[in-house]
Amino acid sequence: MLLTLLVSTLLAVAAPADTLTDYYTVETIPTPEGLIVETGGIAFMPDGRLVACFHRGEVMMYNPKTRKWSLFAEGLHDPLGVLPVSNNEVLVIQRPELTRIKDVNGDGVADRYETVTDQFGMSGNYHEFAFGPVKDAKGNLYFSLNTASNGAGIREEIRGQYDSLGRQGRMYACVPYRGWVMQLSPDGKLTPWASGFRSPNGIGFDAKGRLMVTDNQGDWLGTSKLYVVEKGKFYGHPASLVWREGFPDIDPLTLTPEQLDSMRTREVVAFPHQRMAHSPTQMVADLTGGKFGPYAGQLFVGEMDFPRLVRVMFDEVDGELQGACVPFMDKVGLRPGNNRLVFAPDGSLWVGQNDHGWVGARGLQRIVYQQGIPLDVMAMHLTATGFDLTFSQPLDEAAARQLANYAFRRFYYKYHRAYGSPEMDSQPVPVTEVKLSADKRTVSLALSELKKGYVYELTLGKLRSADGKKKVANQLVCYTLNRLKSSATATVHTKP
Amino acid sequence: MLSTFYVIRSFWLWLPLFTEPAAAKLPVCQGATAVYADTTIVIRALAGLQYEQTRIVVKPKTRFRIVLENADDMSHNLVVTRPNSRMKVVEAALKMGTEGARKNYVPNLPEVLANIPLLEPDHTDTLTLTLDEGAYPFVCTYPGHGYVMYGVIHATREPKRLPSVEADPYVPKRTGAGDHSAHQMASPHPYKMTFPALYRTFMPECGPAAIAVGLPADAAVGQQSYCWDAGSCRLRYVWTGGFVDSYGHWEGNGNRLTKVVGDIYYNDRSGFPFRIGNTTPVPQFRGYELVNRYPKFMYSLGGIQVTELIKAVPGKRGLVRQFTLSAGKQPVTFLLDQQEGVQYQTRINNVVASAKNGRLLLPAGTRQFTVTMLVP
Ligand SMILES: [Cu+2]
Repeated sequence: MLLTLLVSTLLAVAAPADTLTDYYTVETIPTPEGLIVETGGIAFMPDGRLVACFHRGEVMMYNPKTRKWSLFAEGLHDPLGVLPVSNNEVLVIQRPELTRIKDVNGDGVADRYETVTDQFGMSGNYHEFAFGPVKDAKGNLYFSLNTASNGAGIREEIRGQYDSLGRQGRMYACVPYRGWVMQLSPDGKLTPWASGFRSPNGIGFDAKGRLMVTDNQGDWLGTSKLYVVEKGKFYGHPASLVWREGFPDIDPLTLTPEQLDSMRTREVVAFPHQRMAHSPTQMVADLTGGKFGPYAGQLFVGEMDFPRLVRVMFDEVDGELQGACVPFMDKVGLRPGNNRLVFAPDGSLWVGQNDHGWVGARGLQRIVYQQGIPLDVMAMHLTATGFDLTFSQPLDEAAARQLANYAFRRFYYKYHRAYGSPEMDSQPVPVTEVKLSADKRTVSLALSELKKGYVYELTLGKLRSADGKKKVANQLVCYTLNRLKSSATATVHTKP
Repeated sequence: MLSTFYVIRSFWLWLPLFTEPAAAKLPVCQGATAVYADTTIVIRALAGLQYEQTRIVVKPKTRFRIVLENADDMSHNLVVTRPNSRMKVVEAALKMGTEGARKNYVPNLPEVLANIPLLEPDHTDTLTLTLDEGAYPFVCTYPGHGYVMYGVIHATREPKRLPSVEADPYVPKRTGAGDHSAHQMASPHPYKMTFPALYRTFMPECGPAAIAVGLPADAAVGQQSYCWDAGSCRLRYVWTGGFVDSYGHWEGNGNRLTKVVGDIYYNDRSGFPFRIGNTTPVPQFRGYELVNRYPKFMYSLGGIQVTELIKAVPGKRGLVRQFTLSAGKQPVTFLLDQQEGVQYQTRINNVVASAKNGRLLLPAGTRQFTVTMLVP
């Protein structure tokens, strides 16, 4: 009896030696000698080979079975995305165009490079990258176009129409569709789809097929963001507005931040600078049906500057998407520079790295799920009075019921012309009540106050699994609260 | 390394490729090391996580001022540390967490001697400092930057005894920013360079959608290469003596152009060469096919599809341009760029056909013609 008490006390005090590496391993894929592994795009061919494109223009194939690399295409200009069409054909985006690359004669090496579209401008500014393409269920392709940087000028000869009104500002769009997401329909019609992007180096879909883009902290972006992209919408970086149909002949920067604020569509998830991400990249939805562990249906986002990924959990509030992010695989063997992500047919997550003139690393790694379920936050839902947190496992009741194990802080990022933003109006938000569900997996937290337009940063304390063997894998969760539940004001003081 | 930047900068200035060349604010420079007679030192933070100046030499016990100009599109700071303390300060900055942003990522350590706080793009700030004899690192402690973005201040009375910049252990080594002769020996790819070879890249004196093609070398004239503009669908210039050096363009953010290796012997001055009837068509690039590695460019002129395949003239300085046209109802004219010293031989449907006043008339229905250009 005494012994049992002693043991359980010891268990309660000692932190379990439980780490994410018990569940996931990171492997480094050997790459050919002489290859500068600045990865621009990775994907799997229908036959299971990896196709990857690199900064110096190579498109290479890697057979995971034989572990052999072979060259498929070469000479491209900074290819930053690849999409397989068939076992001998891929689409690649490079600075000047979207290109269809085919091996027609069947010798394994491409011999035909067809311009699919080059109907966008190039000022010659180094920052005018092109990202994508990704394909929706209807066969439409999407790609995104970076704005130019006033860290450098433009070339004497440019491609496309020049508009000096788009030349103002730190990141600019003096040629068509810089700062836009473009749609190319299966019949070849190119449509400027959505505007207001700065550096959209991440384009993809969530598990429900919603088009998503990440954008990078900078001017007009207080922090890095994840957007749901819909036709015709403007997402906040003003330069691209000059290419919007019907936009008046003015420099968009003459609009006030308040005017621009009222025009823009907010991010669904903000990635708090430094704590979560500096430079988010491509996103990929976990559609492995459990082959990659317990996070099926969630979104993983790459991060350039830190050795980790970011995991996104969505929440739908009155039909509008918002959500939370959590670090994933932080400092457990993954390098920084995680530019491109793709799930292999076996459910492992491949990560192509890049350090192209920024912080990062070079190379190719893959994350392999081993077994077991880490103790982790699986969902975060806004309630009328706070948040419901659902965990992957039943929680130790005593720890779960302690208010001190949930430290909330809220702040917002300023929408303004300056580069980045400090955390504004940062305040701790006391948790007033904790309830634990009958299955001990969901914690309902009531907060002293909920305010829209803020990021709610939650730092979890020493939560453990009910059996005491597992500690919570990630203690930081950041929820972007754009919208309160419409019932919130009505029910906040009403108890059932 | 410093000298390379100066070379590039001045290259921009005399060759107005950029409509807005970066302002030339250069410190006094002697060879590869900046030695400051003045007590104000300007350090620019540039794209690609680098300071433009990576080695500074000052007199010990003499007050000097550092001006940091942030010419990059991200934020940077500048921290001067005690000798051999750069990594300690960098690691400490990394551990600052949320504190970091508020404190400009400058850790509170005795190793930090002075700092310029985090500067947004386009901002400038200064510090003043007096140093004893020694090698003092300066570094950007913004998380991640400190591993590559740094330099050194040598406070010394004997600057001549310093190692060369290349051998200076306190100066970051950047592949590609220095002498590229070693690179050119080896292939920049995981395979041997085989000619013809093609790069889509930023070339000088061309539109931004440029294609550089290196042709197989010839015993008589060496290697010939050409630049073809995929924006305006035309040959721009041709050179002998090598292919291109792309290292400058590949390193950093891609702001630097790929360089021609060799001497340009022909530069087109006449613009788009095709006329359909009396009009100048607007071409649309459609890509290329590789025929024994030679690119066969494809573009359309309204309803007419054109292919163009370019080879070197064997044993002579010049190119053979083979064109095909899809069926068209109107006559097409190909204008020869009339320049002194340039000779043309033209054939239509494999039969010698001469141009009149530099105009090669292609009767309606012409499917194939060849323009051989010789520049002896
Ligand atoms: Cu920096």
